[in-house]
Amino acid sequence: MRILAPLRHSDEVRPLADAGAGEFYCGVLPPGWGAAFGSAAVHRRSTATASVPGLDDLARIVARAGARPVHATLNATSYPAGALPMLVDFARQLVDAGVAGLIVAELELVLALRDAGLAARVHLSSLATCRNAGAAAFWRRLGVTRIVLPRHMTLAEIEATAVPGVEREVFALNDGCAFEEGTCSTTHAFRPFCMDDRLGEGATRLDERYAFWRWTLDNCGSRQSRGYTLGPCGLCALPRLAAMGVASLKVVGREAPLARKVASVRLAALALDVAARGGTREAIRDAVVAERGAAQLCAGAHLCYYPDVWADRLPPPRPPRRVVPIAAAGAATPC
Amino acid sequence: MAAEYGLRLASPADPLTDPQALVPPAWRDLMPEGPKAALYFGAEFCEDRLPDADEAGAFCARARDEGLAATLMTPLVSPAGLARTAALLDALGAGGWRPDVVFNDWGVLELLLDRHPSWPRRAGRLLNRSLRDPRAYRDAPQGPATHDVSRYARVRAHLRALGVAALESDADLEGGFLGDGLQAGGEDALARALHVPFTYAASGRGCPLKAALYPDGGGFAKAFAAPCPAPCRGRPQAAPRADSALPHWRAGNTVFYELPVEAARDWLPRAERIVVHAHAAP
Repeated sequence: MRILAPLRHSDEVRPLADAGAGEFYCGVLPPGWGAAFGSAAVHRRSTATASVPGLDDLARIVARAGARPVHATLNATSYPAGALPMLVDFARQLVDAGVAGLIVAELELVLALRDAGLAARVHLSSLATCRNAGAAAFWRRLGVTRIVLPRHMTLAEIEATAVPGVEREVFALNDGCAFEEGTCSTTHAFRPFCMDDRLGEGATRLDERYAFWRWTLDNCGSRQSRGYTLGPCGLCALPRLAAMGVASLKVVGREAPLARKVASVRLAALALDVAARGGTREAIRDAVVAERGAAQLCAGAHLCYYPDVWADRLPPPRPPRRVVPIAAAGAATPC
Repeated sequence: MAAEYGLRLASPADPLTDPQALVPPAWRDLMPEGPKAALYFGAEFCEDRLPDADEAGAFCARARDEGLAATLMTPLVSPAGLARTAALLDALGAGGWRPDVVFNDWGVLELLLDRHPSWPRRAGRLLNRSLRDPRAYRDAPQGPATHDVSRYARVRAHLRALGVAALESDADLEGGFLGDGLQAGGEDALARALHVPFTYAASGRGCPLKAALYPDGGGFAKAFAAPCPAPCRGRPQAAPRADSALPHWRAGNTVFYELPVEAARDWLPRAERIVVHAHAAP
């Protein structure tokens, strides 16, 4: 398994590689995109804060990465009319510049890249929400060579989604989503939709629990401990993920400051080292807590991307004790 | 303008209400004349809401009795959900039923192609990943959709090549996904269905209503794969938001909103079938 690190500038390559990154991903804007398509997204993150400055810097990133592959995101969930020719042409430029993988979410763009002979470069973004082996087989038939599995999957489900000939990449650290990212049709340009989602009247305690879960997904309100992000984490699951043949561990946060990215990669490398030496989930947890702190967040599995790694230690699910009161509601609201 | 109607029922015993009566009053004059053609059932957003074989068979029987096309909606699925869907389809087939199937997961399409290739298959609204953010209607109630059908032409052609009969969607902010319809001809021509009046905003597996069934510290990510008795069954909850004047509804794991009438005016003529939901439901 390799640690996949986010970056946004060539100056970040060496520190991230030194911290343990085995491959990189970044977003780049096609030249002329803004003039043609305004603020439409090319990739999922903010163009202003998460993009590599341009193709020149991308070439430096590839050169400095050496044998470590560099992948580029073209993973908006939809594109404006007329955008595909520019994106396909840009994908060719990216490949010519040495980019190994094109991270794509939208079927229309996957089909266009296949038609352009670039299918083998396509890594299917988590935004495409591929959650089972049948779906993975569908994408494999289109030529996709790696699938980034969505956040909302259990370890057993990750295992069951394996298909021959397709690598799997999973989330390892940071930045959760309350809704499944691929099935959230809103935009952070207005502020994350989930942050203002409430259960409302009569559900005060449940709203508090929901708010706490969202807070953990939001990196505990963007908090850090000893320089490490207190965000969603899948590191205790590394032995299981390795056993099921997962290829890549994604560290999230292209727009984050370099120090945060380096710390995240270092923490993942530490856990990977423990796992490689036969360490158990407990040994990994202890090593992570010793380095990062915030033991209480691990004690309750509050940050776990894959809490089922602790399924035998967590309180078992109880039979439903009550049904949530449903507010009176009719058909569509009269207006 | 003419269209046929699909009615989404929550129970096989639900009345077949006049579609015009199920939409907001301001919409009623916009709704075209047309016959009821299909009875929709199943789940689009939550695999725990898939019906069992008996209930699905009852829906099929009701559709047959009413002279409507039974149309089973299926959601995005986990590996276990895919197995459950396979068992449901097999049971329906064994019972002599052959419903149209709306798929929202490519694994379900694979299943249909492999095991039920002669069943009519329809691409569901979750395959359209265009933005639908309700907050975009604050300053432009009619929405910014261009309805440019060059968008997704490859997707439509690919689906058609896979034997998909129709494309379904709700109203998004960009338009064009549904194309120009079957009558326009061409290699990407598919029948079009529009779901109204509820557009989905966001969906996921961290269902707060499911979490309420667990003690503090449980639910959410710790229960993604745990079977759910569906406390959301019945009626949705109003889910008002300070950042949008549109009515919002929480239906289990999914938040919906009611499309502004100004946007509906632009969208309704762009489908041959209008699927009317009496309630927001996952």
